[in-house]
Amino acid sequence: MKMKKSLLWIVVLLLSIAMVAVFSLAGCKAKAAAEEEAAAEEEAVEEEAVKEEVEEVAEEEFTILYVSGIADPFMYMLGKGAKAKAEELGVNFLEAEYAKSWGPEAQIPILEAATAAGGIDLIIVVPTSTEALIAPLKKLYDQGIAIITADCFLGDGDYSVESNYSFPLAYVGTDNKLGGLQIADHMAEMLGEEGEVFIQNTNPDTSSVVARGEGFTEGIAKYPNMTLVGEEWCLDVQQTAQDQTATILQKYPDLAGVFGVNLFSAQGAYQAVVNAGLTGVVKIASWDATPDLINALKEGKVDLVLAQKPYEVGQLSVEAGYNYLANGIEPDKRIIPGFEFFTAENVDDPDMQQWIYQ
Amino acid sequence: MDTNKNSILSLSQSLLSILARNWALLFVLVLILIFSFTGINFFSYKNFQNIFHLSTIYLLLASSETFVIITGGIDLSVGFVMGLSSVLSATIMRELHAANFTPALSISIGSIVGLIVCIIPGLINGVLITKYRVPPFISTLGMGGIASGITLVMCEGFPVTFLPPYLTGIGNGYLIYILPGKAISFFNRPEGIAVEELRNLIRIIPNSLMFNFIIIFILWHILKNTKFGQHTYAIGGSMDAAVRAGINTNKHLIIIYTLSSFLAGLAGVFNVFQTGIGNFTPFTAMYELIAIAAVIIGGASLMGGKGRIFGSIIGVILLRIIENGLHLSGVDPFFRFIAVGLILIVAVVIDQLFPDLL
Repeated sequence: MKMKKSLLWIVVLLLSIAMVAVFSLAGCKAKAAAEEEAAAEEEAVEEEAVKEEVEEVAEEEFTILYVSGIADPFMYMLGKGAKAKAEELGVNFLEAEYAKSWGPEAQIPILEAATAAGGIDLIIVVPTSTEALIAPLKKLYDQGIAIITADCFLGDGDYSVESNYSFPLAYVGTDNKLGGLQIADHMAEMLGEEGEVFIQNTNPDTSSVVARGEGFTEGIAKYPNMTLVGEEWCLDVQQTAQDQTATILQKYPDLAGVFGVNLFSAQGAYQAVVNAGLTGVVKIASWDATPDLINALKEGKVDLVLAQKPYEVGQLSVEAGYNYLANGIEPDKRIIPGFEFFTAENVDDPDMQQWIYQ
Repeated sequence: MDTNKNSILSLSQSLLSILARNWALLFVLVLILIFSFTGINFFSYKNFQNIFHLSTIYLLLASSETFVIITGGIDLSVGFVMGLSSVLSATIMRELHAANFTPALSISIGSIVGLIVCIIPGLINGVLITKYRVPPFISTLGMGGIASGITLVMCEGFPVTFLPPYLTGIGNGYLIYILPGKAISFFNRPEGIAVEELRNLIRIIPNSLMFNFIIIFILWHILKNTKFGQHTYAIGGSMDAAVRAGINTNKHLIIIYTLSSFLAGLAGVFNVFQTGIGNFTPFTAMYELIAIAAVIIGGASLMGGKGRIFGSIIGVILLRIIENGLHLSGVDPFFRFIAVGLILIVAVVIDQLFPDLL
């Protein structure tokens, strides 16, 4: 009897928690939706204005659609860059919904919904799968819509060779291997071109991080007095990254630098260094200028952060697309914007703030 | 003559039985001996300190799993409950810190709320298992998924950063710091050390070791010397007999699962102190399986009724030493997966060869 009573209380408690959660979530959503609507209306008005202006100047007008990969700072930056360029060139710019999760099962419905009404000349898409996005994009391509893939690519990313995925105009995005190479150069510079370094990697089955590791390995090989003592895989578990770097520090007490290929591996590596009491002695390099990593840099936890340029990726995509639509100029199949590097010295530099993802 | 022979026989038998009971400890000693020769810098107080320090969350999870497994159940939710408490307490700490609360206040409120909330999944598990006869495997698997989902909703798939200061100072601190010939200090490292001297700083007894010692001592005492502990064994030995003996098994099991969940929550809060960020638990982490393996290696039976806290601790240390020793012996990461699996199986096969002696 007593148990039953307590059970009842638990159920009541749970229900009330669930209800509060549901209501607050629904409230948030409604608010967000209302804001979005307002923003969309505003945009529509602006677009209308732009449209009229363009119509007066030129006969032809173009509409570009941006389909992002996931709702994160990187994708927002990409969209912002694309939008700014589109406004500059007087092109209509539409943004499809930002997906809540990464993957074709979320992205394909968004893509289809956004293109259903027609009237689109070019799609800038971040394909979330190298394979699953080929068919739906090919369908749109066959309807006469030009495709540019940004940040990620279809197949192996080589559109210059004839294949079932070579139809996009271009790939605009980062060269991960090049980034790894450049990190190696910066690391060498920080360490006076000597010492032992280590790669704290994440997943051996993800092409981007593998390429970063390969680039770094090649880069370090150029320096005769530098040795790469190993590469470990933490599977995106920070605790594991910490374990692995701690063990490497035990094995190589004179370790001078670690390249953590993403937030998790860099943070784990840093924790191991703190744990060993070697803050500032062992240099940590990392990838992606997210607010987290920039903050870590300011706190002295990380010594070097590579920033990709999502804003430029967006701009370059729109530019290439516009040149093709308006002037018939075929862009390069691969357009690679450079990188920026954050260090403790330049992190507060006003010029550098534009490269932080937000 | 005859009696003499008998006593020798019984002596050797009891020796063998002690050996069989503590084979895991023996195995650890053998491994330490082997790795001392093969591993670079394996045999050093620093490395052993590191192994203990980085095992903290595994020790807590294995202790919680010990109680559950002795009753003949299993708890697959501990890893995700740990992630939940880590993210929840980190989020609260971050918000309070951002609202200008003092670090001490925001850290303690965050920790306490994290601990309290993490009792809930265990309570629900206990009720489901006892009142609704849901098998522990299913109930805790489901609860793990729910906890993981709530965690990911809260942190949106990113670790929680921007936490108040001092966290990692406490979590990664040591009791005694010695700079040979120059300085000695307690709790904080001596002030004004040059960066070059950091590599020479000797640190003795991590805070985590004392924390572990206290928690493990309490749990050992509960299991070994209290009525609660005896009832736990009784339920695992035979549920029917326990009921007939007048034990309130339902109430007892609810407490056991709640305790398990609470210890997982404690591990999560400790994780925030150790890493300085709120980590969600990725599905690749498999914390619960590592904990269960450690408990089984430590002499518990999945059928229930058997198991010791001390054994589980040895199990954790065994797993950690295999990983650490192979790493320091220069075995490549992918081969290490194979080796850990093999040693694990061989170890338990040895255990099964001596069932009669137990």
